[in-house]
Amino acid sequence: MIASIPSATLLGVTGQPVTVEVHSGVGVPGFQIVGSPDAACRESRDRVRAALLSSGLNWPNRRITVNLAPSGVRKAGAGLDLAIAIALLVADEQLPPETVERFAFVGELGLDGSLRGMPGVAPMVACRSDRIAVVPSDAFEQATAIGAVDVRCASNLVEVVSALAGAPWPDPPPRAVAGDDLPPPDLADVRGQPDARLALELAAAGGHHLLLVGPPGAGKTMLAQRLPGLLPALDPVAALEATMVYSAAGVPVPGGGVVRQPMFRAPHHSSSMIAIVGGGSTALRPGEASLAHGGVLFLDELGEFPAHVLDALRQPIEEGVVRVSRATSTATLPARFQMVAASNPCPCGGGAPGECECDVTARMKYFRRISGPFLDRFDLRVSVGAARVDDLLGREQGESTAVVRERVLAARDLAIGRAGKVNAALSADELEMYAPFDHAAESLVRREFEANRLTARGLHRVRRVARTIGDLTGAAETVGVDLLTVALQLRVPFAGSSRVRVA
Amino acid sequence: MTTDLDGCLPQEAYAASLAGFDLMTVHRLAALLRHHPPAEAFHVAAGDLPPTDGLVARVLERDDVRASWRRSAGRRDPAAVWERCRELDLQVLVLGRDGYPELLQHDPQPPPVLFARGDPAALDGRRVALVGTRNATAAGRHIARTLGDGLARAGVHVVSGLARGIDGHAHAGVLEAVTDGAAGRPIAVVASGHDVVYPREHRTLWERVGAEGLLLSEWPPGAVPVAYRFPQRNRLVAALSEIVVVVESRETGGSLITAQMAAERGIPVMAVPGSAISRAAIGVNALLRDGSAPAVDVGDVMVALGLDHTRATPRADDPRVRPRPADVPAYRVCSVKASTVGEVAAALDVSVVEAAMALARLEQAGWLAHVDGWFEVMGSPLACP
Repeated sequence: MIASIPSATLLGVTGQPVTVEVHSGVGVPGFQIVGSPDAACRESRDRVRAALLSSGLNWPNRRITVNLAPSGVRKAGAGLDLAIAIALLVADEQLPPETVERFAFVGELGLDGSLRGMPGVAPMVACRSDRIAVVPSDAFEQATAIGAVDVRCASNLVEVVSALAGAPWPDPPPRAVAGDDLPPPDLADVRGQPDARLALELAAAGGHHLLLVGPPGAGKTMLAQRLPGLLPALDPVAALEATMVYSAAGVPVPGGGVVRQPMFRAPHHSSSMIAIVGGGSTALRPGEASLAHGGVLFLDELGEFPAHVLDALRQPIEEGVVRVSRATSTATLPARFQMVAASNPCPCGGGAPGECECDVTARMKYFRRISGPFLDRFDLRVSVGAARVDDLLGREQGESTAVVRERVLAARDLAIGRAGKVNAALSADELEMYAPFDHAAESLVRREFEANRLTARGLHRVRRVARTIGDLTGAAETVGVDLLTVALQLRVPFAGSSRVRVA
Repeated sequence: MTTDLDGCLPQEAYAASLAGFDLMTVHRLAALLRHHPPAEAFHVAAGDLPPTDGLVARVLERDDVRASWRRSAGRRDPAAVWERCRELDLQVLVLGRDGYPELLQHDPQPPPVLFARGDPAALDGRRVALVGTRNATAAGRHIARTLGDGLARAGVHVVSGLARGIDGHAHAGVLEAVTDGAAGRPIAVVASGHDVVYPREHRTLWERVGAEGLLLSEWPPGAVPVAYRFPQRNRLVAALSEIVVVVESRETGGSLITAQMAAERGIPVMAVPGSAISRAAIGVNALLRDGSAPAVDVGDVMVALGLDHTRATPRADDPRVRPRPADVPAYRVCSVKASTVGEVAAALDVSVVEAAMALARLEQAGWLAHVDGWFEVMGSPLACP
């Protein structure tokens, strides 16, 4: 007899519908899985057999063939276990076919028949929205996070079988208590550093990528960690995408199943390229760039990241997605993040000119490790001085996140109301329209060009930042010389110190 | 033993070859050349002739020296070395022979062999050394350039080491003046062979000094800039100068060695004063404390040379537009110590936007320099209350 049960597998951050077909025939008893299973998937045979026997169900002593259709798609992981077990029971006539026809099954089986959650339940369930999804209790929260899908859960195979036979479905597990996450760090903790605070506020208001350069202990990481708190909650589309990414990567989301607030991801500089942009397993697991979707990707010690890893980030920075291609599969992973990077000014950590231990060559070499085009992606590049002792000892706190956030949200609303996007995303034409220069600003641009301190691309970036400063301070529609000046100063070249030029 | 070529090669070729021997030092080379004509000295060093001098004999008793000199003699064929010098348009000046600079003949430690490109007549004029740290601040580089330019326009030749930082900028200033027709020439002493440009980014500067002035090295073509050669180079910078001016220096560094060498030779040392809290000024301030004369502008150096500076460099008013009174406090903050926008804003208790505007205006007018996010004072200080 033949049974056919709908299930799903994972590729990147999307579910791929898979139909599990089981044929039970006469012949030498055996069990074979065909249809491009990966190693974990092929081992399914042993798990399913043990689970059936431990659950008091019969293992058919017949010739069993399992086909995973479509057979061209590579199936990853153990998520098809439950579907294979159910299909086997139907094929062996232990379950009547009509009891399962409205359902899709996703879940990994333990040898004792228990059901286990695994990464990617949310996207798998989403691609089977035409059916009632049956998922492990562990993964119920993940599966329902995306809403609007009919989901049932069970904690072992016996519960599933008896529910299919007419018993009520078990109750979903209670929602995890969101008690263990700490309140987000507050900007009031940052003492002094007015320019770095301004840069952070601008980055939040305009969606600009930010580079902080300063000696160790200047508070670069502290500042970066406070950026997500300034950003608005994710819109429903981005929240859904981010939730899918977290589910697919198997990374728990603090405080409930849905990613609503911008996340902060800080991969270490020893991370591999695949860990950052995604790929690796058959399922093409999303990387840090995707986990930061809708949030902040913080690259501490930027100069220590291998050049090829940074250059691999250029596509997501430009397009908001990572396209991972392998010989047999291609996945498009969402990766629209805001990048914050921190670096020391030179190998010794230095400080003001003439203070550091490093000679000019060492300084230039240090920044040469970061490619010019990558450095160019930062609209805001600021020097962060060491904290002043007066600020550290003083009782005066900086402005709190709540106060700054209010300004940031107002500025974002203004920008989005005007152009439908944040300022960092404005094209050259839109800049002409929304950020026109006045006469004095034009002559300043001319001077900077003539002094070789500004390039065409640099001009656009500075102009976007100037627009954001205008939005934050409620300035006029045109970009005047003052806005432009501040924007220029918040984009320090960091190309190493000047060289002698003769002739 | 003589080869066929001995007859047609000048003596200088042998001296040039000897200068590149392994384990050859200034003292050993001087001893060899004091007691033998160069060709004979070459054969003594190679082990073909017996030494006549006790010092040379003692050196040659050492197995390692004897072995490596013999090896060097085989490798450094005088004819090939001579050909290379000709290709590079180098003159080989040998102590005690025609053409050797008189200036160095009476030095306590004269270089036995000098490789020169350009016009040795530059050594006959008035000469001032401008030296300083490689890790210069923007202000220091500016001063080096201004002094180099001013001295050259006054007809004074400028001696320096073509290093990064102060040295390079001093000669860049001289070359600017030379382009405008000034009489002062650049004189550089380098620590590598003429065909080994170090630092590489100074290639243009290096070539222009050779073309417009005089480029000297104690080392034959092919010699690489190894650490011990720099203090020797500094001794020549001092020996060739009437006055040594140190522009910026940390607590230790080559320019202080130059100053020390100058002091040993009775050559006056001047120092450009710096802020008491700036690391780049620790060395110069120590020199001032030890009794060096301050050199604030070209005039000070000219007076020290005994030249009438008022006619040589008419003192122009500062051409920079005076800053607005409101911007002066920001300038003051940076004049104490190089500062970032945030530091200026914090010190003056104004918004970052206001501080940025003030700093931008000051930079625009040339009062401040902006380097990697830091603002430093440039040029002569703002003389207003």
